[in-house]
Amino acid sequence: MEPNPLAPPIPLAAHATLSVETEQALPAHAEHDRGTLLASAALGIVMIVGAVVVLVDAASLRPSDEFVGPAVAPTTVGILLGLLGSLLVLQAVRHLRTATARQALPHRRLLRLAAMLALLVAFAVLLPIVGYVVASTLLFTGAALLLGAPHPARTAAYGWTLAGLVFLIFDRVIGLALPTGPWGF
Amino acid sequence: MDQLQSLLQGFGDALTPVNLMWAFIGVTIGTAVGVLPGIGPALTVAMLLPITFRLEPASALIMFAGIYYGGMYGGSTTSILLNTPGETASMMSALEGNKMARAGRAAAALATAALGSFVAGTIGTLGLTFIAPYVAEFALNFGPPEYVALMAVAFVTVAALLGPNLVKGFASLAIGLTVGLVGIDAQTGQPRLSFGVPAMLDGIDVVILVVALFALGETFGHLLTGTGSATVEPIRGRAVLSRDDLRRSWPAWLRGTALGFPIGSLPAGGAEVPTFLSYSLERRVSKHKNEFGKGAIEGLAGPEAANNAAAAGVLVPLLTIGLPTSATAAVILTAFQSYGLQPGPQLFSESGPLVWALLASLYIGNIMLLILNLPLVKIWARMLTIPAYGIYAGVLVFATLGTFAAGGTITDLLLLYLLGLLGLLMRLADVPVAPAVIAMILGPLAEQQLRRALAISEGDPSILLSGPINLVLWSFVALSLLLPLTLAVLKRRRHRTPAGSDVPDH
Repeated sequence: MEPNPLAPPIPLAAHATLSVETEQALPAHAEHDRGTLLASAALGIVMIVGAVVVLVDAASLRPSDEFVGPAVAPTTVGILLGLLGSLLVLQAVRHLRTATARQALPHRRLLRLAAMLALLVAFAVLLPIVGYVVASTLLFTGAALLLGAPHPARTAAYGWTLAGLVFLIFDRVIGLALPTGPWGF
Repeated sequence: MDQLQSLLQGFGDALTPVNLMWAFIGVTIGTAVGVLPGIGPALTVAMLLPITFRLEPASALIMFAGIYYGGMYGGSTTSILLNTPGETASMMSALEGNKMARAGRAAAALATAALGSFVAGTIGTLGLTFIAPYVAEFALNFGPPEYVALMAVAFVTVAALLGPNLVKGFASLAIGLTVGLVGIDAQTGQPRLSFGVPAMLDGIDVVILVVALFALGETFGHLLTGTGSATVEPIRGRAVLSRDDLRRSWPAWLRGTALGFPIGSLPAGGAEVPTFLSYSLERRVSKHKNEFGKGAIEGLAGPEAANNAAAAGVLVPLLTIGLPTSATAAVILTAFQSYGLQPGPQLFSESGPLVWALLASLYIGNIMLLILNLPLVKIWARMLTIPAYGIYAGVLVFATLGTFAAGGTITDLLLLYLLGLLGLLMRLADVPVAPAVIAMILGPLAEQQLRRALAISEGDPSILLSGPINLVLWSFVALSLLLPLTLAVLKRRRHRTPAGSDVPDH
C-alpha cells in the first residue's frame, strides 16, 4: 500500500501480534521515508531547544525548603526532553543513508500552509473587531478555498450559515458570550 | 445487590426527558464525528468542553459519554466504507471491513460492526457497573505513593505501546509533560515557563493542546500532503446479517469482548492492543483462514468488539482511580474537574447519583447507537461524501471557537496555532500524539502526589517502594520498559524468517 505521511503510527504492539503479511497490508506510515526522517530530526531539534528553555527557566526558580521543590519537575522533564530529542536526531541521521526516496512536496503546498497560518492570525486579530460571525465566515471561506473548494461564492454562503448557526446556538441559547462586531453579531 | 439498586436509581435519573435528550445529542454528535474522517471523540469532547460549561454536570457528562461511545460506532463505518483509519484503534477494522465492502458486502460488514459494538459495549458496560465499585473500594487504600506508581505505569505503558518505537513514544510523553509544566507552581506560587505572558500563568488549557494536536495538526497535514481521492464503497441492500454471517460473527464478538474489556480496564495505556490481539486470534482459530486479507467477517467482528469493550474498560480506571489511559479519557477527566468533581474512589461515595446516572446512560446510549447505526447507516454513509475542504474548514471554526471559549484571549489562539505546528511536525515524524495529551494531564497530578508522598515520609524516597502494591506496580513499570525491546527483537526476527511461516495457508 502507498505510504501515507498522515497515517497514525503502527504501534510496537501491532508488530508483535500481527503476522508479517497483515502488517504489510496496513496503511503504513513509511518509517524510513526520507520525509519522515527529516521531520523526526526537525522535531528532535525543536525538543533540544525546548529542553534548554525548560532548564534555564528551572534554574531561575527560587528553591523552597520542601522535599520536592519547584525546580525538581522541570529539571527532570528538561533532561528527558533533551535526551529524547537527541535520540530522535541520532535515529534519523542513522537511517538517512538508507532512506527510501522522499515524497515530493511541491512548494505551492508550503505556500498554502503559510497562507493558512496568515489566515488564522488574521482571524485572531479581527475577531474582537468585526465580531464572531464575520470573522468565522472569513476563516471558513479562506480555509476551504486553500483546501481546494471550487466555488468561492457558494463556500462563503456555507461559511456564513455555519457561523450564524454556531452564534445562535452557543451565544443566544447556551449563553456563551462571543465577541460581537459593531453590528451586534 | 447494592449496585443493582444504585443502578436502578441511576436509570431513574437518566431516563428523564432532559437527560435522554442529552444522551441522544451525545450519541448523534459522536456518530457524526466518528464517521467524519479526521475528527475523533477526543477532539470533539475537547472542543465542546468550554462551550458547554454552562450545562448541568449530569447533562454535560451524559452527553460526553454519548460522544465517547458514539465515536466508536461511527469510526467503524468510515473504516469499512472509506479505508482511512484515522486512529490506531480502527486500523484493524479497516483491514477486513474495507475488503468486504469492496466485494459488495458493505451491508453485512456494517451490520456485524454495529451489532458487535452493541454486544461488546453492553457487556463492557455491565462489567464496568459491577467491577467499578469494588475497584473504587480497593482504591480507598491507595495513598500518594500508590498514585505515583500508578501514574508511572500509565506514562510508561502509553509511551511504550503507542509509538512505532520506544524513542518516539517517549518523545511524545516528554512534550506533553513540558506543556503540563507551564503555569504557576502550586507549592511556591512561582510561574514556570510562562515568560511573563498573562494568558500562560494559569497554564495551557488541555483544550488548547488537544485541539492543536488533533484538529490543527490534521488540517495542516492535509494542506501539505493533499487529501488524495478516496472512494466511498456503496452499500447494497439493508444492513442485516445472514444466518451464516451471524454464526461466524457472534463467537468473534464474544472473544473480542473477552480480550478488550480486561485489557482496557488495566490502569495502563494501550486500549488499542486488544484490537490487534483479537485480529490475530480470529485469524488463528478461524475455519476460513483463506478469506483473511480478502474480507473475512470474523476479522472485522472480533477487533470491532474488542475496541468497544476496551472503550468501556478504560472507564474503570478513569472513574475509580482518576487515571485516564486514553486521550479521550484524559479529556473526560478534565470535564469532571471543570465541574469540581475529582474522579477516584471518593467519586462513588460523594457523587453517587451522578455516577450511576452516567453509567445508566451508557446502557441507554448503546441502545440508541444500535438504532442510529443499523437502520440509519445509509444516512451516515452520505456524510462521507462531504468534501474534505468542507470538513476541515468546519473543524477550524469549531477549533477556534472552543479555544476562544476556553481562554478568551488572542494569546490563546496564537498559542493554539504554535502547538498546531508542533502537532504537524509530530504527525510527519510518525510520533503518536495521544501520549502527549495523557502526559499533560497526568504530569502535574504526578508532581502533586510525589510531593505529598515525600512530605509524609519527610523526604525519604523509600516510601515510594513501601508495601506490596507499590512493588507490584513498579515491577510492572520495569517490565513495560523491557517489553518494547523484546517486541523489537521479535519484529526483527519475524521479518527475517520467510513471510508466511506463521500463516500456514500461504
